[in-house]
Amino acid sequence: MAEEKNNSVIRPTWGDTAASFLNGCFGDYLSERENGLAIDMAFYRNNLPLELSTAALSAACPLPTGKLCVLVHGLCCHEGAFDFPGNPARSYGSALQYDLGYTPFSLRYNTGLPIAYNGQRLDTLLEHLLAVYPVPVDDLVLIGHSMGGLVLRAACHYGACREASWVSKVSRVFYLGTPHEGAALERMGHLVTKLLHAVPHPVTALVGDLANQRSQGIKDLRYGTLLEGIDFSTSVPWLASAKHYLIAGTVTDDPEHLASRLFGDGLVQPPQAGEHVALFPGVAHMQLAHDEAVYARIKQWCASA
Amino acid sequence: MVRERLKGLFMEAKTLRQIRGAKDLAEEAIDAAALAINEVQRTMTRLPYGLLAGIKPIAVPVRAVEQAHLKITESVYFSIRVGNRLVGNVAGFVLDRLDAHAKGREQ
Repeated sequence: MAEEKNNSVIRPTWGDTAASFLNGCFGDYLSERENGLAIDMAFYRNNLPLELSTAALSAACPLPTGKLCVLVHGLCCHEGAFDFPGNPARSYGSALQYDLGYTPFSLRYNTGLPIAYNGQRLDTLLEHLLAVYPVPVDDLVLIGHSMGGLVLRAACHYGACREASWVSKVSRVFYLGTPHEGAALERMGHLVTKLLHAVPHPVTALVGDLANQRSQGIKDLRYGTLLEGIDFSTSVPWLASAKHYLIAGTVTDDPEHLASRLFGDGLVQPPQAGEHVALFPGVAHMQLAHDEAVYARIKQWCASA
Repeated sequence: MVRERLKGLFMEAKTLRQIRGAKDLAEEAIDAAALAINEVQRTMTRLPYGLLAGIKPIAVPVRAVEQAHLKITESVYFSIRVGNRLVGNVAGFVLDRLDAHAKGREQ
């Protein structure tokens, strides 16, 4: 950890944070209008997009290893969501690099675009990354926070469908607070929009229209939609060749507390208990992306055979 | 004077792109909001005038007042939209100058 503290990192600016937030809310509109705020999917390092060429990657990763980990953030966020508070040089990626030798890559993307579209783009991007990476890759670990987990599942699905070479390298996929069965907040938002439109008054209709301007990415969270036209994530098989780990939190220290039962981690309900499921009581949704206890479990699972 | 001040400002291309994007988004949002609110106000205005116009002796003056009312409100929203477009164009011009200046410095 001490070594990580010494590394100087350039963090995303408040402008990048605002742009990421707006992309989450209206990203599909921004992309359609070719607005300068629309984010183009890329791996970012020191707040700059990484050029995917062997020379650029050799310069960006002076000591490349055959083990890669890819971090994918959630709705309205950027890669800074994984930075530990008080020590921005430390993230799950940098910690895995220091502890287990994984070379980290952090994705930044327009979270307002449909999850299926982002999954397809990530599939292509990962293929490109592995094609130009300076050394052969034999292990790929994917870590997705919230919506990022759904994007990873979609990417794995599209990659597996076309038998992409990178898919066979994926050993583990970690889903941190990922709404595989949909997010209650978006279901509530959808219901409120319907109710506003049902009231026969021009003002409520206007408010309903305004609420309906939210991005397709947000709307996809209603059922955890991964593929265009298919509403339930359960209809998309999990990548068979990889191990999948679900990590969840609750808003209170007691997972049986009424608040935890109702609100889960604040946004997403925890999955049912299982062998590859870890529940962290008292860890809220955003904290799942930068928590020492969560990292310790990820490290333990990554180190296991 | 303005030119001298612009010379003192240097921004990265990415920052300028983001500012231009925010400007475009704000301009489009204000324009869409003015149109939508104007439409809501028109719908709501018609309701009381419709009721009053049902009273035959005052129907003709009520319709005349309604038309005047609608013209005034529409002109208010129109001026908001024109003002918004004007401010947007001026901001766009300033951003173009900053962009050209930044590119000149890069070269």
